[in-house]
Amino acid sequence: MKRAIGWMAAGTLAVGAVGTAWAHHSFAIFDHTQTYTLKGKVKSFQWTNPHGYIDLDVKDGPPGIDHFTLEMTSINMLQRAGWKSSDVHPGDEVTAIVAPLATGDKGGLLLELRMKDGRTLVPPVPAIDTFKRSP
Amino acid sequence: MGSQTFARAACVALLGVCALGSVHAQNPPDLTGAWERYRGPPGDATSPPPEPIPPLKAPLLKDWQARRVAEREADARGEPIAKGYTHCIPEGYPTMMNGPFPFDIVQSRSQINIAQEAYSQVRRIYLGKPQKKFEDVEPGFYGRSVGNWENNTLVVDTIGIKDYVTFRDVPHTPQLRVRERLHLVTPDILWDELTLEDAGVLEKPWTVTFAYRRVPNYEIIEYVCEDNREYADDKGVTRLRLKE
Repeated sequence: MKRAIGWMAAGTLAVGAVGTAWAHHSFAIFDHTQTYTLKGKVKSFQWTNPHGYIDLDVKDGPPGIDHFTLEMTSINMLQRAGWKSSDVHPGDEVTAIVAPLATGDKGGLLLELRMKDGRTLVPPVPAIDTFKRSP
Repeated sequence: MGSQTFARAACVALLGVCALGSVHAQNPPDLTGAWERYRGPPGDATSPPPEPIPPLKAPLLKDWQARRVAEREADARGEPIAKGYTHCIPEGYPTMMNGPFPFDIVQSRSQINIAQEAYSQVRRIYLGKPQKKFEDVEPGFYGRSVGNWENNTLVVDTIGIKDYVTFRDVPHTPQLRVRERLHLVTPDILWDELTLEDAGVLEKPWTVTFAYRRVPNYEIIEYVCEDNREYADDKGVTRLRLKE
């Protein structure tokens, strides 16, 4: 199952059409030229505004990364896209596709979350296609 | 004499209590419900006109354009300039009418409330009440709004916006006045024409039009800016607080 952008698709497109200058949040702190694939165990799932967060203990990823903070969109946008606060739990084994921080620090923007039970959860990131995926 | 002029004259002559220039609709359209920003196909009659750049006076316009360039350059470096949202501060009026989240309207004969989902922002429009003088309204994030129905158009007047609550980062004086005309262009498409008047900074009134479409059965979700792990560093650059 791939739970992703449903009703909010139009809204997401609308945000893109506004242009980042007038969106009420900028995603410019994240690198748009590459992604990391991180395999690990969820340490915490923070269901808050203005962003949700997952803190991940990394078992398999780029060298030197043993922990990573994943930022998500607003939980309002997540709910409109079908997410629930009960979707992710500490201890879940996941694979995360993330756009890393441009600074190189151990954090990034979650673009896709693959669960061990086969679910793939996609946050409704505005203009998500502008984040180039690494092979 | 047109019907609107006649009605206005009757209002003044017979009742003596109507606000000048207003014509109260007997059965105004019902705007109650949820709405979201709408952008139709270019050229479509439901698509609002493109947003013009603010007609700021020359030195202010130069500064405003320089800030736009600086923001784009900071974004390109991956170091966006921290703004109000970084500190969980709501956008205020009129930016809350920009979206991007949905809002809902609750309408009665005496008051209309508009609640923007982002930051749970609410503005209250008092119908049939006169506007106060500038000096009698303490500045705030949403100001004081009064309105009247002119036929099927809701006409709103707002004053009293804090100087650091800006729209499109355009500076304003305490004499900022925003006039709005909200009307349905189709049963499910609403336009809000906002005209900002501030002779202290603008060469002429600045009109921006937003369009919205109904979102049937949508229930606004609560929004409390509870814990932003993005923060401004000592140079005002947006950073992300990590956990080890």
